[in-house]
Amino acid sequence: MIFNIMDLTPEVNAIVFGWLDDTYEFNSLTFTSGSRFHNGKPEAIIGDTLARNLNKKVGDPLVMQGSTFTIAGIYHGGTALEAGAVILPLDQMQQLSSMQGKVSGVHVRLRPVPSGESQEHYFKRAQAAIEAVVPGLNAQLATDRATNNQFVDLAHAVAWGTSAIALIVGILGIANTMAMSVFERTREIGILRAIGWKSWRVMVLIETEATALGFAGGILGIGAGWAGLRVLSYLPKTNIFVSTSLTPVHLLQSMAISVICGILAGAYPAWRGAHLSPVEALRHD
Amino acid sequence: MTEAKTHPQLEVRSLRKSYDDGRIEALRGVDLTISAGDYVAISGASGSGKSTLLHLLGGLDVPSSGQVLFRGLSLTASDLDDYRARQIGFIFQAFYLLPTLSAIENVQVPMLALGENGHNRAQRAEELLVELGLSHRLKQYPNELSAGERQRVAIARSLANDPSILMADEPTGNLDSVNSARIMEILTGIQKKRGMTLIIVTHENDIANAAPRHIRIRDGRIEH
Repeated sequence: MIFNIMDLTPEVNAIVFGWLDDTYEFNSLTFTSGSRFHNGKPEAIIGDTLARNLNKKVGDPLVMQGSTFTIAGIYHGGTALEAGAVILPLDQMQQLSSMQGKVSGVHVRLRPVPSGESQEHYFKRAQAAIEAVVPGLNAQLATDRATNNQFVDLAHAVAWGTSAIALIVGILGIANTMAMSVFERTREIGILRAIGWKSWRVMVLIETEATALGFAGGILGIGAGWAGLRVLSYLPKTNIFVSTSLTPVHLLQSMAISVICGILAGAYPAWRGAHLSPVEALRHD
Repeated sequence: MTEAKTHPQLEVRSLRKSYDDGRIEALRGVDLTISAGDYVAISGASGSGKSTLLHLLGGLDVPSSGQVLFRGLSLTASDLDDYRARQIGFIFQAFYLLPTLSAIENVQVPMLALGENGHNRAQRAEELLVELGLSHRLKQYPNELSAGERQRVAIARSLANDPSILMADEPTGNLDSVNSARIMEILTGIQKKRGMTLIIVTHENDIANAAPRHIRIRDGRIEH
């Protein structure tokens, strides 16, 4: 097989695969209209999201890099990537990519694990056998390829980097808000201390406010994030990369991170407020 | 705290307080004894150190040197929160009510520090406000009250923790003569009725001279 990312229109790009017409990989696709292509013919099958974005149906032409393909089938993809992809006959894709006689990968389906052999041992044995056939070939399990993929790693790194920046900005924002709040309410804190509130109680009061800010920020952030995902899922340029599903684990993680950010951001203002001298605080204008 | 043999309610020994790295000396060695149930007025010119003395007596600040003893026990910095929460009721010239809380909520705030439950807090706060003639102003916010009413709410708040000592720093400083007289009547009435110690800082001679014991401060020292 071959895969590449190509521009289909100025606004829409897609992952394009080249497959043989008898590959077992068709088994994972569900055709909503039409059927599979034939080797040697300028035909293509496309995912349902891409078909919707391009407003294409079976029989319509699909122009890629100056070559025209007839859409033979439209399939439903299980993932956003699949649903936004184009699949061509391998020979057509090799020609389109100037990779005649070459492939970027070979997908191999293993037989079930023989009884009496561990799955891990079986996989290692299969990897060694495949690598022995073509010297220099690197055989990887599909799951390893998905997780160790350079693009996936890069995407994860970008996502984590962006999230880290957002978290730092969020923490600084709450810390600034709480520092301002403590400053503006210095006299009130002085009053509380004068009438017997202990330092820790003032600290708890300020930390509670910071935590509430973090919690409210988490709810707003989840709402804004969900709305953003919905928007991205409708944009032709991004919808093949975006999934709108939010799992309870994601929601809980988001809320936990927001609340922890609130607690961290409130720590210094709370400490500062709690350790104000009552007399100095009461004199504050 | 360090146990002592004699037990006046409040005692200060060689009390000094300076600011700005010692360049400003607010108190320059004050010795004073106050017994339980005393009504004491402290007067002096502006900047004489009278408010500083009250702040140190009330545990709002720590001395630069010298000691403050409560019932014979020397107060350390770590004792002050508890001392203020349980033994002291403060009344200030500027009232210092929390603007976002109603009158009855303001009175409940000191009881939060003592861990009182909500029902008891509300009940006691209402009783105190009724006692001070504010039964019709329970739900009002400070900005909806007159100056005299605000000071009465502040007095109710100062009594909320059932303190043994009431300390008032210029309690009539922001009031007209009618309200001043009313507030002083209330404070002296409370002192008599409850047998509390009352320490008032004032620059008004009439108020100072009306107290059974009058201490004059000048340049950080007690005048004899």
